[in-house]
Amino acid sequence: MSRTGKLLLIAVPVVAGAAVAARRRRVPGAGEQRRRHVVTVFRPLAELQAEPLPGSLKEIADDVEITLSAAPGGRGTEIAVRIPEGSSVSSGDVRRALRETRSLIEVGDVLLPYGPPTTVPTLLNRPLQTATRHGREGGLL
Amino acid sequence: MKALQWQGVNKLAVGEVPDPELRNPGDMIVKVGKTVTCGSDLHLLGGYIPFMEKGDVLGHEFLGEVVEVGPDVHKHRVGDRVVVSSFIACGSCWYCDQKLFSLCDNGNTNPAITETLWGHAPGGCFGYSHAMGGNAGSHAEYVRVPFADVGAFAVPDEVSDERALFASDSASTGWMGADLGGVKPGDVVAVWGAGAVGQMAARAAVLLGADRVIVIDRLDNRLQQVEKFIGAETLNYERTDVSGELRERSGGRGPDVCIEAVGMEAHSPGPQFAFDQLKQQLRLQTDRPTAVRDAIHACRKGGSVFVLGVYAGFVDKFPLGALMNKGLTVRGAQMHGQRYIPMLLERMAAGELTTEHLATHVMPLDQAPEGYRIFKEKEDGCVRAVFTP
Repeated sequence: MSRTGKLLLIAVPVVAGAAVAARRRRVPGAGEQRRRHVVTVFRPLAELQAEPLPGSLKEIADDVEITLSAAPGGRGTEIAVRIPEGSSVSSGDVRRALRETRSLIEVGDVLLPYGPPTTVPTLLNRPLQTATRHGREGGLL
Repeated sequence: MKALQWQGVNKLAVGEVPDPELRNPGDMIVKVGKTVTCGSDLHLLGGYIPFMEKGDVLGHEFLGEVVEVGPDVHKHRVGDRVVVSSFIACGSCWYCDQKLFSLCDNGNTNPAITETLWGHAPGGCFGYSHAMGGNAGSHAEYVRVPFADVGAFAVPDEVSDERALFASDSASTGWMGADLGGVKPGDVVAVWGAGAVGQMAARAAVLLGADRVIVIDRLDNRLQQVEKFIGAETLNYERTDVSGELRERSGGRGPDVCIEAVGMEAHSPGPQFAFDQLKQQLRLQTDRPTAVRDAIHACRKGGSVFVLGVYAGFVDKFPLGALMNKGLTVRGAQMHGQRYIPMLLERMAAGELTTEHLATHVMPLDQAPEGYRIFKEKEDGCVRAVFTP
């Protein structure tokens, strides 16, 4: 198979994936406004209740509904976020906030991407770079 | 600094890239002393894992000297000689608490990709695509090491660079396969693949007390290494009925533990190889699971199969019927290096675990593209190519 053919075979699923991810960010699905986004943080419920939640979750706290509950089996605390009707907060905002908050609580820090970058912008790189610019906003959380 | 960069499918070049910077307080910078090829890099090189960007730096198995530490690094100082786990883990989440470090919740800055693909995201890895965090790899003069207190380990004076290097990934991965595969004294263990990881899995099985350990491959030079350095039996699948031999050598039962150390670009004799390769090239399946199929078929009833080889997506003709009806336990994982490296360094110091023979080709970083060519083609008896930036 030619190099161009191989590159196309690689590019097509990546582009499609990025397109789906981008669409998910822009257009909330019918169930998206109703379901809750939940992460489990490996710290006891009492510890999380003692102080305001840190980081970007604190920044959106007024625009979402946040529930804390003890996770079973000593796994820590479940943080659940529901986006009310009419809120300006997106699912991507919530996913990023939950992931960053979990890391802040567990580690005290949020891992930053490698830098300075070693890659160069190309037509083939662009969809992947678009996806990774929002690496903590996408996914299934 | 100089670094080996992915430039496109099957295209590598050594180029100049910016030096890495401390980005988090727990980071440190390591001056790479030795860094080694891995069979799983070939999946990136060949485009089978389509999350590489032009300019990405490869390499995830390495050792070097600490040259800069962040304010939250307490275990290491400038000048320390360290070996670093290929997977990046925070050490503080529930998965790290369970010693499942490659599943860390906080070690991957791009969790969306793998979460969408696989349901949940594993941790990050050095030099292993943007799906695993987009971290620049170790085939460079310097590398940033996040969570340095968790993932880097001082090398004892009595362990040479040549030996300690392989604790970074190959030996940890191999040990994990035997450990989590449940190898016990008296077991018969079969290992598919006589590369570095397969050899280390076999050595782990020997040290954990297995009664017989049998390594399967097609390359005689690798099988000779197994007999000479690992202390295990061998089978060449191009000249032997592997299934029959394993049955005979295990009293008709089949191996108790089967460890697959081959991965998504497996070879095999017969028509199934052509079938798998065609489907993979047409992207009707992403991976060639030949060795996993064989392991499941050969394993004894109620036995254990551990998948160490790297797979990315979907496979065809997976023997679910055998798995279910024989009551098998199948597990797999990326490596939990932080769990095993301290113990491995002790065993290396004691002479129980030797790895120098794996470094069949040692060369400067400038020659890394040629090193990968030799490694990929398995020319000149190449098992691993080690680069010295």
